[in-house]
Amino acid sequence: MESRVIFWGINTHQLIMFYMIGTASMLIFLYGAYTHIAKYARGKSLVGPVEFTDRLTRALRDIFSHRTLRRRDNAAGFAHKGIFYGYLFGAIATTLYFIEIDILKPLTGITFVKGKFYLIMSLLLDLGHLALITGIIYMMVRRGLLRPKKLEYVRNYRGETELRPDAKTWKIEDWVFLTTLLLVGLGGFLQEACGLIVDQPAWAAWSPVGYLLAKTFTGLGMSVETAASIRAANWWMHGILALAFTAAIPWYKAKHVISAVGSLFMRDSRPLALLPPEPKDAEKAGISSIADFTWKDMLHLDACTKCGRCHEACPARTAGYPLSPRDFILDLREYNDDAQGCPTSGPPLVGGIIAPETLWACRTCGACQEICPVGIEHPSLIVRMRRHLVEQGTMDPLLRNTITVIGDTGNSFGENSRKRSQWTKALEFRVKDIREEPAETLWFVGDYASFDPRNQKVSQTVARLLKAAREDFALLHEGEKTAGNDVRRVGEEGLYEELVSHNIEQMDGAKPFKRIITTDPHSYNTIKNEYPSFGKVAPIEHYSSVLADLLGQGRLKVKKPLNKRVTFHDPCHLGRLNGGYDAPRKVLELIGCQLIEMPRNRDNSFCCGAGGGRIWIPDTPGTQKPSENRVHEAAALGGIDIFVTCCPKDLTMFEDARKTGGHEKDFVVQDLAELVAEAIELKSIKLQDLPPLADRIVKSVATQIADTVAAKLDAVLANRLASIPAASLAAPVAQLAAAPAAAALAPAAPGSASQAPPVQEAPKKEEAAPSAAPAAKANGADAAVTLPDTPFKPVSWDAISPVTPASFAGYQAPAKNGPRILVTIKHVAKLGDEYGFTSDGRDVRREFMEFSLNEWDDAALEEALRCIEKLGSGEVVAVTVGDADADASLYKVLAKGAHRAVRIWDDSLTNADPITIARALAGVAAAEAPDLIFSGVQSGDQAHGATGTALARILGLPHAAVVVGFDWDGKDAMHLVRELEGGLRHSFDLQAPAVVAIQTGINTPRFATMKMVKQAKQKPLVVVDGKDVQDGSGGYQVRRMYVPQQTKAEMLTGTPSEIAKFIANLIREKKGA
Amino acid sequence: MAGILLLAEHLNGAVRDITKEAIGAALSVKEQLGGPLVVAVIGENADAIANAVDLSGVDEIVTVKMQGDHFDPHIYEECALQLGMKYKPKLVLVGHTVNGMACASAVAARVGAGFASDVLALSADAGTVVATRGAYGNKVNLEVAFPGREIVVLALRGATYPIPEGAGSAKRSTFEVDLGEASKAMLHTGYIEAPPSNIDISKAEYILSVGRGIQEKDHLPRFEKLADRLGFTFGCSRPIVDSGWLPKPHQVGQSGKVASVCKVYIALGISGAVQHLYGMKHVDTIIAVNTDPEAPIFNVATYGVCMDLFELTKELETQFN
Repeated sequence: MESRVIFWGINTHQLIMFYMIGTASMLIFLYGAYTHIAKYARGKSLVGPVEFTDRLTRALRDIFSHRTLRRRDNAAGFAHKGIFYGYLFGAIATTLYFIEIDILKPLTGITFVKGKFYLIMSLLLDLGHLALITGIIYMMVRRGLLRPKKLEYVRNYRGETELRPDAKTWKIEDWVFLTTLLLVGLGGFLQEACGLIVDQPAWAAWSPVGYLLAKTFTGLGMSVETAASIRAANWWMHGILALAFTAAIPWYKAKHVISAVGSLFMRDSRPLALLPPEPKDAEKAGISSIADFTWKDMLHLDACTKCGRCHEACPARTAGYPLSPRDFILDLREYNDDAQGCPTSGPPLVGGIIAPETLWACRTCGACQEICPVGIEHPSLIVRMRRHLVEQGTMDPLLRNTITVIGDTGNSFGENSRKRSQWTKALEFRVKDIREEPAETLWFVGDYASFDPRNQKVSQTVARLLKAAREDFALLHEGEKTAGNDVRRVGEEGLYEELVSHNIEQMDGAKPFKRIITTDPHSYNTIKNEYPSFGKVAPIEHYSSVLADLLGQGRLKVKKPLNKRVTFHDPCHLGRLNGGYDAPRKVLELIGCQLIEMPRNRDNSFCCGAGGGRIWIPDTPGTQKPSENRVHEAAALGGIDIFVTCCPKDLTMFEDARKTGGHEKDFVVQDLAELVAEAIELKSIKLQDLPPLADRIVKSVATQIADTVAAKLDAVLANRLASIPAASLAAPVAQLAAAPAAAALAPAAPGSASQAPPVQEAPKKEEAAPSAAPAAKANGADAAVTLPDTPFKPVSWDAISPVTPASFAGYQAPAKNGPRILVTIKHVAKLGDEYGFTSDGRDVRREFMEFSLNEWDDAALEEALRCIEKLGSGEVVAVTVGDADADASLYKVLAKGAHRAVRIWDDSLTNADPITIARALAGVAAAEAPDLIFSGVQSGDQAHGATGTALARILGLPHAAVVVGFDWDGKDAMHLVRELEGGLRHSFDLQAPAVVAIQTGINTPRFATMKMVKQAKQKPLVVVDGKDVQDGSGGYQVRRMYVPQQTKAEMLTGTPSEIAKFIANLIREKKGA
Repeated sequence: MAGILLLAEHLNGAVRDITKEAIGAALSVKEQLGGPLVVAVIGENADAIANAVDLSGVDEIVTVKMQGDHFDPHIYEECALQLGMKYKPKLVLVGHTVNGMACASAVAARVGAGFASDVLALSADAGTVVATRGAYGNKVNLEVAFPGREIVVLALRGATYPIPEGAGSAKRSTFEVDLGEASKAMLHTGYIEAPPSNIDISKAEYILSVGRGIQEKDHLPRFEKLADRLGFTFGCSRPIVDSGWLPKPHQVGQSGKVASVCKVYIALGISGAVQHLYGMKHVDTIIAVNTDPEAPIFNVATYGVCMDLFELTKELETQFN
């Protein structure tokens, strides 16, 4: 019967020897496998269950179809398929023989690898090995001759010109792997051919390759005896080589035959689109050492075959940034292999093995993981390492600033939330507020579409399109905060969670709506994929699919097909991460555009470079912007009219890149919605929309009148309440100077209709009626402004009255346990472009302010923390004067490291002058008896530049202001440097205790993540009643606040010469020449 | 109780502009407050400096001999107090400068006086001083008063008040101050000269910036030369730096430097991206040149020119030849 002689011409001794070698090979293999498993066992366990069947099906499909290997490198994919199936058949055959010879036959005498089964197996093996050898030869040619750039290991993107030592070993292992496998394959055929020559079986043709080889050998004159001796010798060679190959599998590149299978199985279904959260109880964030890797991470690392597909696809690497996803993975793998999953004392993982700038180079576009044939999830690792960097504060100052601003204001532009829906004011109709009335659709606008002027135009167009399609939509207006997609990808997980809970809360509390739409793929991604883990969220659609539907259903009718040659850029977050490839293309087709695809399209789309927070980080000099690379690609298509985007960040990036890349004449960059508007001939004002417009004007005028009247009424009532008008302003009160409509809101926006300064009527108070009337407490937010000013104490040069520290009888400082440094903190307000005044006209209304920690105080705190750290013991106590809102800034400084915080407040301190504030601070300082006091030299809002100095004087301490250099050993005099105008510096010594007012720039303040801020709430924060602070020793009383004359561009007309003359005169005048 | 006491500020033997400006400010209220304007000069070479502050309208210059000319806030405070006891001024003026910030509020707290800093306008009516200062990043003005205060200390904003013209003939006097503990607080150790500065947008008072509108890198030298001729610091918008045409220190804006003390800002071919406006929109005088009449830069500019910037540049070059 047909079968193969396995142990041909092998005697018992030899057989024993072979089995010993075989066993050794298996043991080496198993030990290798064990070390890997032991390594994985040291990894952290996974959070959440792993669904088995789906993953298995997907992995098997990927593996057997070779889908992931064929992409963008068909030849290599095909060659690998040959190698894979050849090897697989070989492995199966070997296993079958093992089962037959070593298990079944000795136990039961049954053999089954024979007859027809054997013949078919023989044929498949023959063809498989042919494919294997062909594949390997192609791979060798590819590596040796074709040399695609992605297989280069020289890190020229890092400026390296030579192979690093470990890369040299990589090259060796690549060739050892290919060569060994080739020799195993060739040896098999040689064995077969010689066997056929010797045995001359009737079924020889079932082994076609061996048969042809045998024919060739005999044709060349090989005798049966020669064949037999080759067969005898090659039996050993082939056998030992094959066993050696098997034994070596876990020890080098070949391990991927196992790890890649595991990696493909373990791959997340939406890596990056849905990033893993931080464990709730984690003490520190992200990945900072080996101990933070999960076993799955380690498995992914081991799967890398250095194929270079990610290296080729990465926009950061292409643009010259120090990040190659492949090298990133390889470096991690080497590190982990050396450490075997145990934390080491060697160089740190983040900052040592992986440089921060490598991690910050990533745009989280997902191109690497998309093309990775073995399912490695690079961006997830990068983001988790960024979480560690963020916690350490290791990031670009601008990024840090942006994150702080997002924390303070809820948007990356640092604008007052009231401005978020200001773009809707240019519309001819009112846009519903979902918090007040229900709608079919909630439009989540996102930051760029809300605040960036170019994108606002697109938002207006989208709104008009929706209106034209009679779509019932609403916004969250100022209830919306940035969705947080990029905040999460930057690695500020705590802030992300805060943003998500805010937005979900807003949507939960809103009137009913059925779905969410957005123009922003970033918001789309996180709301769609990540928000559901935090709460119930309505289904979300990207406007590209909304437009496709509206056009398809005829709710928007194309009147003028555009007949334009356009190219389309797939936004990463819409396409690659969410598969939204077709809708925008469908829209382009429906409006009559001819779409010319760029070579890199759909899943191979090339990121604009703005993702992952990179839009908030300045470009590194000497790099090319990914967006420029992209516009060159578009320009190379030739004859393109429009470069179409459907992402606000894309529009910004490509609009810029078109200009800097020199393609201004080649094409324009437009948003998809703008093209649709053109095709349907959307007019900005339609007749049928006029009634709502009129409504809107009437309503707005009515509101403003109502506001004004209400304000006046409030003031009058408040005065009546204050039964005896207390000491008041000596000067005549300001009269209502402006038109009623202008009074409620100060129009700072240029082009606004009412230009009159919105001076408000101050509440009329009886003049010169000094009395110790109790402060009248009115209700509501405006309560404080109705409080009368405390009358000033009489002071003359003959009877000076030094300001004294406020006395807080109830306040006691804890006992000292080392040096104590007091830092004065202010929660400062910032105004947007639009604001209104309180009813007494002495301040801006609270809702128009955005608050943050005063940056000068931040620098002062940093100096204090460093000082205590240097001294090795002691505490930093933060003290502020402010209402409960100021706790936000206190928690921030506690998060940064202050040990305790004290807040002094009473409503009578509203509008307080710096001397009064200093008196209040001095009260706490007197109780704390600090060894040193730091203050910021001024505040960002009022910029008095006086509080610290006054505080020192009240306490009778020496002081220095505008300090940019500080050095103190805790005992002797402090060495200080202050900055004078024009860059000159003055150095001097000062004895402690003293008050040192710090100038910004002296240090880089540390960063506190939102998580740290939350944890800081455990630290002590004492509130002190400041009702006795005002004692008539203050510095000033506020009379009124008003808008100074605004500068508005006066357009100069005339000939260039006339204008130049005007400008020249102006400059000479201004320069005082 | 009447009159005004002004503490002169000087550095390296030269009186600072702010002191002369403060004299101008003092003169605007001198009549209403009634009484002399006394300027006090404190230092080792006080006499030489005294001559420089003898401007028209100054009634008396009092010199206080001191060891060393360097500023010590503790000494200035003590001097102010003792001079105050002698002259009994209604108003004490200092500059809102680095030195002023270190002593003005201390004087006020020591005396228990009315106080305001960074005062950009002052007036007096019926013997009562009213001061105006900025608030919320100078978006709004704040008018403050000191009802019933017999003594008010004000720190005045620089480059705001006119320097009086013409020399004065002030009475000269000297004054002895018993410093007591005040001289022991601080030990002067020296001055550190600023490193040779290439460019510092944040400290430039006059800036000419270019944006993408200049089209090509080759055009840069032309504008740099123009800036030089005008005596302006050469700035630019982000795309210029991004393109590698100019180094980072030239960049005005959120990611560059804020033109914080700039007085005149010329923006050529800058459309006015938010991040650029951040760095310059507060500047008092902004001249913007752009071909797009809708460019956001015109929303913050004082003067706008809508024309080809090369044409205008040519004419400007002629003007400043």
